[in-house]
Amino acid sequence: MAQSPPTAAAEGLLDPDFMHRLEQLEITSRKIFASRQKGDRRSKRKGESSEFADYRNYVSGDDLRHIDWNIYARLDRLFLKLFLEEEDLNVSILLDVSKSMAEGKPDKSLFAKRVAAAMSYIALCNHNRVNLYAYRDAVAGQLAGLRGRRTMSRVVQFLETATVEGGSRFTVAAKAFALRHTQKGIVLVLSDFLDKSGVQDGLRYLFGRSLDIYLIQVLSPQELNPDLAGDLRLVDCEDEETAEITVSKPLIDKYKANLEAHCQAIRDYCTQRGASYLRVSSDSAFETLVVTHLRQRGLLR
Amino acid sequence: MALVATDNPLLAALTFLSAGTAAIVGAIVVPSLLLLYFLKLRRTERVVSSTLLWRRAVYDLQVNSPFQKLRKNLLLFLQLLILAAVLLAISQPVINVMRQPDKNVLILVDRSASMKTEEQDGRTRLSHAKEAANTLVQNLPDDCRVMVIVFAERAEVACSFTNDKRRLVTAIDGIEPTDSHTRIGEALQLAVAYSGQSSDVAADGSAAPTGGNADIRIFTDGHIADADDLGMIEGKVTYHRVGNAGDNVGIVAFDVRRDAERPGMLSVFARVENFGEKPVTADVSILLDGKLLSGAGSIQQITLGPAQLPTTVAADAADLQPAFHNVIFELNHESGGLIEVRLHRSDALSIDNVVQAPIDPPRELSVLCVCERRRPRSAFERVLRAVGVEHTAWMTSSQYETVADAELIRDGRSRFDLVVLDNHDTGRLPPGNYLFLGGVPKIDSVTTSEYVEGQPLVSWQENHPLIRPADFSNVFIARWRRLILPPTASILVEGEDSPVIAAMNDPGHRYVIAAFDVEESNFLLSIPFVVLMQNCTRGLTDAGLSDRGRPASPGDTLTVTVPGGAEKADVKRPDGVTESMDVSGRTSLSYGKTRDAGVYRVSFDDANKTTDVFSINTLSSNESNIRPLDNLRLAQRQIDTAAGDVKVSRPLWPWLIAAALIILMFEWWVYNRRVML
Repeated sequence: MAQSPPTAAAEGLLDPDFMHRLEQLEITSRKIFASRQKGDRRSKRKGESSEFADYRNYVSGDDLRHIDWNIYARLDRLFLKLFLEEEDLNVSILLDVSKSMAEGKPDKSLFAKRVAAAMSYIALCNHNRVNLYAYRDAVAGQLAGLRGRRTMSRVVQFLETATVEGGSRFTVAAKAFALRHTQKGIVLVLSDFLDKSGVQDGLRYLFGRSLDIYLIQVLSPQELNPDLAGDLRLVDCEDEETAEITVSKPLIDKYKANLEAHCQAIRDYCTQRGASYLRVSSDSAFETLVVTHLRQRGLLR
Repeated sequence: MALVATDNPLLAALTFLSAGTAAIVGAIVVPSLLLLYFLKLRRTERVVSSTLLWRRAVYDLQVNSPFQKLRKNLLLFLQLLILAAVLLAISQPVINVMRQPDKNVLILVDRSASMKTEEQDGRTRLSHAKEAANTLVQNLPDDCRVMVIVFAERAEVACSFTNDKRRLVTAIDGIEPTDSHTRIGEALQLAVAYSGQSSDVAADGSAAPTGGNADIRIFTDGHIADADDLGMIEGKVTYHRVGNAGDNVGIVAFDVRRDAERPGMLSVFARVENFGEKPVTADVSILLDGKLLSGAGSIQQITLGPAQLPTTVAADAADLQPAFHNVIFELNHESGGLIEVRLHRSDALSIDNVVQAPIDPPRELSVLCVCERRRPRSAFERVLRAVGVEHTAWMTSSQYETVADAELIRDGRSRFDLVVLDNHDTGRLPPGNYLFLGGVPKIDSVTTSEYVEGQPLVSWQENHPLIRPADFSNVFIARWRRLILPPTASILVEGEDSPVIAAMNDPGHRYVIAAFDVEESNFLLSIPFVVLMQNCTRGLTDAGLSDRGRPASPGDTLTVTVPGGAEKADVKRPDGVTESMDVSGRTSLSYGKTRDAGVYRVSFDDANKTTDVFSINTLSSNESNIRPLDNLRLAQRQIDTAAGDVKVSRPLWPWLIAAALIILMFEWWVYNRRVML
């Protein structure tokens, strides 16, 4: 069961060969997080696993069961034997399903969902806890506390049924997530971050939780290199706000500069706070992203 | 209209031919374009994922560039530029150095014989003139009204005032050459008359001085016969010199005469002149009825020196005097026929290389003398015998009045070649030739009053064919009747205030009237009497009655006596066209369409099938001299010469259209590249 991809349903998002490759990956965290439940993962906390970690002097109040009596017999001193505690990792994925994600060719939302599915699969394969949150202007749906590879079908179902619509307000969604999700772990935010209310406020809620944060900004090629021409009235797909433009080279240049500045602002904000930021185009191969880029970023091993 | 005058010669030379049209089109199109440009701002909608960055970009762009509006309108600016170029092209700017023409332009095109000159490029001089005139017409502004007058011996309006260029061009193209002499007087009169009219119409009430605003353009080679006989010319006159060729040898004078003593002998005289700058050797031959005569002397080789400057002081280079050579052929030919003298040389003008003249068989002259007195009668007898009159009839005045018509009239004309009446007034005047000595014809136009006594003869026309070469200084006349004559009569001999001998023509009649009794003078004993009798018998009979036998010029009217019983006459022209005319009930036929040189045959449908042959020859030293004059003088006034042969003003519109296309391509590129400034 562990050797074969669990569900046919996953094939819409992930193809079997790729899933096979994903099984060899595991999610790492730069921070080793404490978790309530014991898992496979080595925790910062010393615990009760079978793996020996260290000795330390006994102080009164320590559990007598952890005293190394052999040492006491030899040295007539009380030492406490410390073991590494292994625990599971919380992998939370925040997926933007606002309407702007449906724009562009290839579809940004499909790309994001695939990344989400791949990450979930990797996490589930490694017995991590997977929490999926879909958000628009608030958290629109969640699938929390998944464990084990069998639950992959639920992930796929969740992703497939998550409709892409409505406006995006990352701040509201992040706040709701932070309130609901108090555990430590890895947070992967998949969005285009084209949010008029700004991204930084929302990120502040996440940083407050000292989570290991990965931001993946998915942009369509049309957003990166607009192919517009003429006199146009641009309509925002989310709030139907309009902008009248006359396309010209300086305008396009200005747009690109603004886009860079926008992305750079997010990147700087993340870098300063130890978060990782990655911008991808929706026409790039998401397998490469997962297998290569995220590995380089240290998210996967 | 003209651009504002500037010191810049290039700008001054820039003319817009149809600025009005361009202004109208511009007034319509430019606002429409602007309107369209603003209407165009209805933008296409496009859904994007977020307008966040776009709004910011637009805002930044607007904030950062103060010339945003201008940049935005680069395309509009380019479109306006294209439009301006097209409008300029519509206004037909031309660069030229022509002075601005007036509103009314008169184009006078010479179509005389010299315009038939073949130029170096094989086209006739007239076609060059037409091309130049057409170019001028095309380059005139649209509001310029043009009239085309063609002139040769006569002037003719080819196209009255119009600004329809197509009509003008058609009229100019339709000009046909003639073989006539060049006379411009009539054309200038027409021009002044018409421009006066048109100025009244065109000046909107403000009367312009008549002819003063006429802009007269003369397209000619400059040899104008009546150049010095013109009255004052008003208005601006410009001479457009046409043609270059100057090499020509032509026959400029021609005469055929029968010897008085030996009627079988013909003497043919031709004067050949060389107008070219090189000496010429050429053959001159004589043909009878189209066949070269055999025998010595029928072909003569002549050598002519080059045309030379006259020895007079005010010699102009254009006034080269031709070298000439007189050729005389003598031949024995009893019957009639057509004499042709041909100059064998190919030169620029070919029509003056051939002259033709029909000849009649020698005729036996018959004269009727109405004379009762002994002395005059013997004098007449003696003189008539001396001048070779074969038949002389004698009548008294009463016999003349009473004799039967058949004795006097044959075929509706007098039976006699000449009727001499001594001291007899008569009204019995069948068509013919009459010499009145002491009497007058009883016709309305001639009356007499009191006698003039004791006056000497004051003047006489020494060169008149009828009295030449008489000298009346030894003739004394005691008294003569004061003759009151119509103005058409030519006075041969004159006293102090009255004519003494006069000649006049009536249709069908020719009169020579001497208003004195020969017995009251020494006239019968003087040489002038013999000369007058000789010239009357020869001149009135041979040459006088009709033009026949004497070469006429193109444009002259041919007058033919209609034989009895003829109802229809066919005139065969040199160009092969035959024209039929109804002549029933008429005694003479006049034919005026003698534009071309050559032989005209008039045949009647009477019992004898009478055929008359006439020849029209150009015979003009003025026409044969084809070298165009550099300067034209009319009526002692130097006429401005248009610079260059043909003033071609360069149209600029193709350049403007090209510029418009280039801008259009640039705009297309800008539009596609979205490049701004």
